[in-house]
Amino acid sequence: MANVRGCNLPDDCYYLIEKHVWAKPAEGGLIRVGITSVAAKLSGGKLAAITVKAKNIGQEVIQGKSLATVESSKFVGPVPAPVTGVLVRANDKLANDPNIAVSDPYGEGWVAEMKPSNWDSEKATLVTGADGVAKYQAKLEADNISCS
Amino acid sequence: MDNVLIIMTSGPDTPRRCATPFFFASLAAAMDYEVTMFFTIDGTLLLKKGMAETIYPKAGGKPVSDFLQEAKEAGVKMLACTASTELHDLKPEDLIDGIKMVGGAAMWQIAEDAKTLTF
Repeated sequence: MANVRGCNLPDDCYYLIEKHVWAKPAEGGLIRVGITSVAAKLSGGKLAAITVKAKNIGQEVIQGKSLATVESSKFVGPVPAPVTGVLVRANDKLANDPNIAVSDPYGEGWVAEMKPSNWDSEKATLVTGADGVAKYQAKLEADNISCS
Repeated sequence: MDNVLIIMTSGPDTPRRCATPFFFASLAAAMDYEVTMFFTIDGTLLLKKGMAETIYPKAGGKPVSDFLQEAKEAGVKMLACTASTELHDLKPEDLIDGIKMVGGAAMWQIAEDAKTLTF
């Protein structure tokens, strides 16, 4: 667990830094994905909704393409897929309280689970570990983003 | 790819009707819909240079120009109805950049293959 410029960035997640999303292997060969604490901050800190497009469930979503949407009074935008894969399920808890993605983005507030199409090769396009957190930190410094 | 067409008729006289259409357009773009906004009647006035900056849907909130810019950045295409520019005595150079002027028939052709909403 690392705290970078007030942003919580666990070193066991795989990050697609440019899109502020994470991926992490879950049970059954699935990959769990979500928004980072940085995305939560950038979207205004209080969300009105996170919605996974129902039509996409069972379909392959390409890395970087829209997996879900985030809405707040200040922001609307996509949650890009950190990896390519078939969208298996959305986190139903977000429908009742989208703000768990802000308060617990890497835990209860995950967004979706995917069956990855080529995790072994695609994970090389993500960053992880202490090195990954350092790269994310460099991005936050370059863009002058902080979560505090 | 699914298409969405938003027909914008609301303008400076009804500020509270001027943010949500842009927000919905940005949202649809984030959902990977192909989104077009067609401005007609008073909606066209929002495209007049300098106008959207002066309209606040909510006191103390963001001006319409912010919502408009976000929609453009999300990839929303914006078309202005030529007849409505004449209604308001607007010349093409009076409009903000990135707006294509088209006739009403263009709107119908887009509507043939698009889910259509009017605000």
